[in-house]
Amino acid sequence: MIALLKQKEWSPYLAGVLLGIVYIVSIAVAGVIPGASGAFENFGGLIAQAVAPALANNTYFKFVMPPGISWEVILLVGVFFGAFVSSKISGDFKLAAVPDEQWRKMFGQSVWKRWVIAFVGGVIIEFGAGIAGGCTSGLAVGGGLFLAPAAFIFMAGMFASGIPTAILMYWRKF
Amino acid sequence: MGDVLGPLVIGFFFGWALQKAGLGKYHKIVNVFRFTDLTVLKFMMTALAVAMVGVFALNTAGLVALPTVPATYVLGNLVGGLIFGVGMAGAGF
Repeated sequence: MIALLKQKEWSPYLAGVLLGIVYIVSIAVAGVIPGASGAFENFGGLIAQAVAPALANNTYFKFVMPPGISWEVILLVGVFFGAFVSSKISGDFKLAAVPDEQWRKMFGQSVWKRWVIAFVGGVIIEFGAGIAGGCTSGLAVGGGLFLAPAAFIFMAGMFASGIPTAILMYWRKF
Repeated sequence: MGDVLGPLVIGFFFGWALQKAGLGKYHKIVNVFRFTDLTVLKFMMTALAVAMVGVFALNTAGLVALPTVPATYVLGNLVGGLIFGVGMAGAGF
């Protein structure tokens, strides 16, 4: 058991079983399908209300994603701590400006390059999730487990654009 | 307090599972689109299958009500997915 906690990575099947149990507990106890992207919309709406109230005064923030410290926002705080404790215990935790070896090999050491792409990519992801009605967790897995067509249409779209994006970024090394 | 503790605990194990699957790492995410590492799919589909069996078993036993299933609106789901994939493969989140 201790050895398992100290492993940096689990088999994706074992980690997947844990995530599946998390979904079951969440749906059974809280009645909510856990999702990650909604939190940014709720919290972003809160910031918009404080900084530029006119921006939050629309149908989306009034009815679809009301601003506030929602269930999803608190969930995300938990996600942060869970990942932090998991990586700390296994010694996988480290702070780095350009964290990934594969990234450094392909795109170099430049910090601004990584951060700009990370920021722009994050905006694109959240924008897409907002239109689709969820992300990989809330929509793809959370909808897929009910065989909701939305989940599979979303995943098809995700790969239909993700593969060409990876081809463009890696080109000859694809 | 239960309102805060519930999502906090659920989120904790959610984050734990993702970290242990290695999905905090750029290469794990981008490589699924290069077909060199299918961890993302193995992880997601295992979770999907386990949750599907568990939720419907509990529902059949009359213990759990089904939540609102994510809405299907073909154009939105598809266009959202297409935009999402660019960010996911580009930034590796």
